Amino acid sequence: MVPFEYVAVGTVEEAVGLLAEHREEAKVLAGGQSLVPLLNYRLARPQLIVDINRLPLDGIQVTDGRLRLGALTRHATLEESPEIARHCPVLAEAAGLIGNVRVRTLGTLGGSLAHADPAAELPMVMMALDASLTLVGPQGRRMLPAREFFRGQLTTALGQDELLAEVELPVTRRIGHAVEEFARREGDFAIVAVTALVGLDRRGRVEDARLAFAGVGPVPVRVPAAEDLLRGQEPAAERLAAAAKAARDTLDPESDAFVSAAYRRHLAGVLTKRALGRAVARAGEAA
Amino acid sequence: MRIALTLNGRTRELEVPPNQTLLQLLRDTLGLFDPKEGCGEGVCGACTILLDGRPVSSCLVLVPTVHGRAILTLRGLEAGGLHPLQEAFVRHGAVQCGFCTPGILLTAYAFLEGHPEADRKAIRRALGGNLCRCTGYAKILDAVEAYAREATRG
Amino acid sequence: MAEAVTLGRGLRLVGQPVARHDARDKVSAATAYAADWGMPGMLHGTVLRSPYPSARIRRLDTGRARAIPGVAAVLTAKDVPRNTLATDVPGQTTPVGPLRARLYVLAEDRVRYQGEPVALVAAETEELAREALEAIEVEYEPLPGVFDPDRALEPGAARVHEEGNLLARWRIERGDLASAWGRAEAVVEGEYRTQFVDAAYLEPESGVAWIDSDGVITIRVSTQVIEHFRDVAEVLGLPQNRVRVIGTYLGGGFGGKEDVTVEVYLGLLAWKTGRPVKMVWSRQESLLARAKRHPFRMRYRTGATARGELVAQEIELLADAGAYAYLSALVLLYATVTAAGPYRVPAVTIDARVAYTNNPPTSAMRGFGAMQVVLGYESEMDKIARAVRLDPVEVRRLNALQRGDRLPVGQEIESHVALPELAARAWDGLGEPSLPRAPHLKIGRGLAANLQPYGRIVWLHDWSSAWVGFEMDGSLVVRTGVPDVGGGQASSLCQIAAEVLGVDLERVSIHIADSALTPLAGTTTATRQLYMSGNAVLEAATRLKGQILGVAAGILGVDAGALELAEGAAQAPDGRAIPLPELLAQCARQGVPRSYLGVYHAPAGEPVDLERGPGKVFPDYTFGAHAVEVEVDTETGAVRVLKHVAAHDVGRAINPQSVEGQIQGGAVMGLGYGLMEEVILEEGVNLTTSFAAYLIPSALDVPDVEPLVMESGEGLGPFGARGIGEPPIGPPAAAVANAIYDAVGVRVGRLPITPERVWQALQAQTGRGEGSGERS
Repeated sequence: MVPFEYVAVGTVEEAVGLLAEHREEAKVLAGGQSLVPLLNYRLARPQLIVDINRLPLDGIQVTDGRLRLGALTRHATLEESPEIARHCPVLAEAAGLIGNVRVRTLGTLGGSLAHADPAAELPMVMMALDASLTLVGPQGRRMLPAREFFRGQLTTALGQDELLAEVELPVTRRIGHAVEEFARREGDFAIVAVTALVGLDRRGRVEDARLAFAGVGPVPVRVPAAEDLLRGQEPAAERLAAAAKAARDTLDPESDAFVSAAYRRHLAGVLTKRALGRAVARAGEAA
Repeated sequence: MRIALTLNGRTRELEVPPNQTLLQLLRDTLGLFDPKEGCGEGVCGACTILLDGRPVSSCLVLVPTVHGRAILTLRGLEAGGLHPLQEAFVRHGAVQCGFCTPGILLTAYAFLEGHPEADRKAIRRALGGNLCRCTGYAKILDAVEAYAREATRG
Repeated sequence: MAEAVTLGRGLRLVGQPVARHDARDKVSAATAYAADWGMPGMLHGTVLRSPYPSARIRRLDTGRARAIPGVAAVLTAKDVPRNTLATDVPGQTTPVGPLRARLYVLAEDRVRYQGEPVALVAAETEELAREALEAIEVEYEPLPGVFDPDRALEPGAARVHEEGNLLARWRIERGDLASAWGRAEAVVEGEYRTQFVDAAYLEPESGVAWIDSDGVITIRVSTQVIEHFRDVAEVLGLPQNRVRVIGTYLGGGFGGKEDVTVEVYLGLLAWKTGRPVKMVWSRQESLLARAKRHPFRMRYRTGATARGELVAQEIELLADAGAYAYLSALVLLYATVTAAGPYRVPAVTIDARVAYTNNPPTSAMRGFGAMQVVLGYESEMDKIARAVRLDPVEVRRLNALQRGDRLPVGQEIESHVALPELAARAWDGLGEPSLPRAPHLKIGRGLAANLQPYGRIVWLHDWSSAWVGFEMDGSLVVRTGVPDVGGGQASSLCQIAAEVLGVDLERVSIHIADSALTPLAGTTTATRQLYMSGNAVLEAATRLKGQILGVAAGILGVDAGALELAEGAAQAPDGRAIPLPELLAQCARQGVPRSYLGVYHAPAGEPVDLERGPGKVFPDYTFGAHAVEVEVDTETGAVRVLKHVAAHDVGRAINPQSVEGQIQGGAVMGLGYGLMEEVILEEGVNLTTSFAAYLIPSALDVPDVEPLVMESGEGLGPFGARGIGEPPIGPPAAAVANAIYDAVGVRVGRLPITPERVWQALQAQTGRGEGSGERS
């Protein structure tokens, strides 16, 4: 890899200061699972690596129905933490699908979100949860909803002088969840993935439904048309199928050398049906 | 820059450049060839080492980040003689070309430390991120399973 | 053929699943692979490669690169003494006829494939060597290219080479096809397509070269062919005895390390700089640059009687050689000779062509042409079986070759064909059918049989040699040029030597794969090493035994034929024994050698004119049958292999555990080939140059393959062994294709059978025909 300067920062301010000074010549190092392959193949040539692993950004806090996760929370922690399992199990399920055990040891929540691969699991879950992301820059902190954070393929709202510090999510203790992913092999990036969240009211009707997709475009997306079909309704098989069809009809993925648009669209429909089925079943258990 | 780390139980202090991976440090600087380079992108698992007891792709770890941490490579498993897990691999024919073997041994070892009662299905899942091109995996799973049963019995 | 070895008490080591000596080293990471090596003052070598599949080189300027401090050498074609490499038959010693495949060490004025080498760099560090590559200025003028063999054979197509794009053609005609069709009561046909595939060994191409005493260029390299020392010498314009190749234990070969990989570059750079040089390819470079498996388009038309007996078959094959010939003509020959499968087909024509394109070059890979055609002939057999309502085992029993039958090329099958039994046992091995776990999941079963040659083409006059000798203390040494690709090549030879000479396996040391120090044994390819070098070791050990027992007989006053070697001593029937060290001392005193150099010459033949008349092409064949059970998700097209039984007749299993491992590993490689592996090219540009994009099976993608090892006792190798390295890779893809048809009634004739392709076939079946997109 090309030679570069390296600094292990101790405070967020220090990190931000360096990023502001060096801008596109600096790269942030968290888990390294996306950055280091690029360094190995000389596709990334930073002049400065800002190692943020010492920053106090790895906490998990639950307050007033909100879960706050530091950006340095490792995928393995999301997968194994009893607190995550209790308060936001969809995160645990999604994290378990990421890469392989080695990627999960080091890869971070913030790293995955900042990298914004269109087929990645965690950006999709953030969209499903309407997560709130905290960005820190020289001007201070700002919070963005997930839907404003993901701008394009591998592109986010993060300024060159900003660091993703924290993510805030609703606690989903009584919500049924499911993540369905279709990949060529286990652990590969998804061809298409769906996150379904379903909350039932006391009468067993859908109080809230969220459907978020990865692999169907440059950014993860929600499909309100499908969600609206479910709200207030009995979660019967036909209704779930209708929502799946709405998703399939709304989404507009592209073809690439590996997979066609038509197949992606079809998969989105199938996975939606399966994800909704499981989410509803879990919602029934949780109620 | 100067870093200190524990390598196979021994503390080492080293002068390192920042633009070096842990894999390169172990192989090129220290002449420790246990971990192998198979892909440079963290997919194949041939470079697996245990970092504070957890498996990582050493080809994706920049050396400055291992300051103050403990690293175990394959020879760290042996304490004057083969570890029973290594013996199981030999006995069950789980080694053909052997290039994937160090990574798989460490991954299996770390997994079983945390899940001693794991069955074959769980072991298969745990090794799903380590590629092997020669064996078809069956005898590797035989060996790990046999070791797990012996270890829990003994 | 080596004489059968008669041993008084049956076999002690041969036939036992003994632990391999190299396994012990490998679990300790004690084995030094080619990249696990450093030398004082070592430089690092890198290769500059063309980004274009077809271009003229207008300008090539290495000045800036050479000026970088720490760069020791930058070489282009003009710096190479002899810039062409012969690639027809790696490692060949006996001169062989008309094949003249050539390629350039470094491109001269033109590049013909993406990745073609253009320049070499040696520098103090790998970082500097890569920096220097980027400083080399090359101006390319892209030229038209051709990327499809059909298109390449059309008049007016862009010429990859001056002599035109048809590289080779083989034709076989046998029987009266016209009247045979008249007897056909069931006729089936199909077009089948297979893909570019990479060997994807875990160990990338690597090596270190240095100049040793007396100016011998020594190259320590991961290779299946140490005889490449001759190619390096040729390129450097040096005498052959001034180049030495040391073959390391490979981290996988599979045919991908049969051609020259890094040897010539290392030789050049070491020779130019006078310093040791190391070269290790990255995975990206390996996936880009290394020769691939030949894709085939196969058209079959098959006729049978209403009872299911084959009467006629018409086969057309078209393969893609890529930009350079390498071993394409031979791969095509293998495909042609085996195209009708392990069956009796009275009338058949096979027309096979291979064309140049500007795609990556294709060359040797496990199965070597004979594995691609399995999809063709086993899909046809499945169709015939269904047409005449026979079960898969029955149709194969009815048509299987038997001893005395002839292949389409006219070669008589001289050994036992276990096919009907293999098919039955594989099929029965599936046990009770699995039940579908949900309505959208369908279960199906498929069978596929194959034949794969073992041993090289007989007109190559193959031979191998091995030296076996005792040290004075009775420990044994084996020296032979055999490269060990990981299949236990070396350890099997130890087993054989120890068996014959009555010593424990722990008392045997083996030194392999050194072109200067070990007798040459030929290539570790073509499933030939156990056959050839096994026989050479058997010969050497048997002769050595005779020599020393002759001395023992004199001492004991007994007939030599009554003596045995066992437990480290020469033993007489009456219980008297001479311990080996004592016996060996006597041999020394009497001037009787304590070693023997065994040379095994395979029965040779002359080249066959395929069109003119019958002839023997291969020494023998290994037969096999695989049965699989699959679960097809009809909603997504995903295919899961639930069960896989792989049966092969190996003649005799020298080490049953190694044989099982080869079967399991080959079968899984076959599943990868059938279900997920594909080099994706767009106008000659490779889109799958990482392990994230080029997918090989993980443990989660395949079941435990159950190996069924049959020992008919008839094989040309030692103790009646047949080869097993390549055969298991042939049947899986076809078995899976047949199983999918069984499950859901669609036949995917194009590999890999991806979920999308299954889904598209299901769509077409129901006539829904949703837009099929760009992938078909």
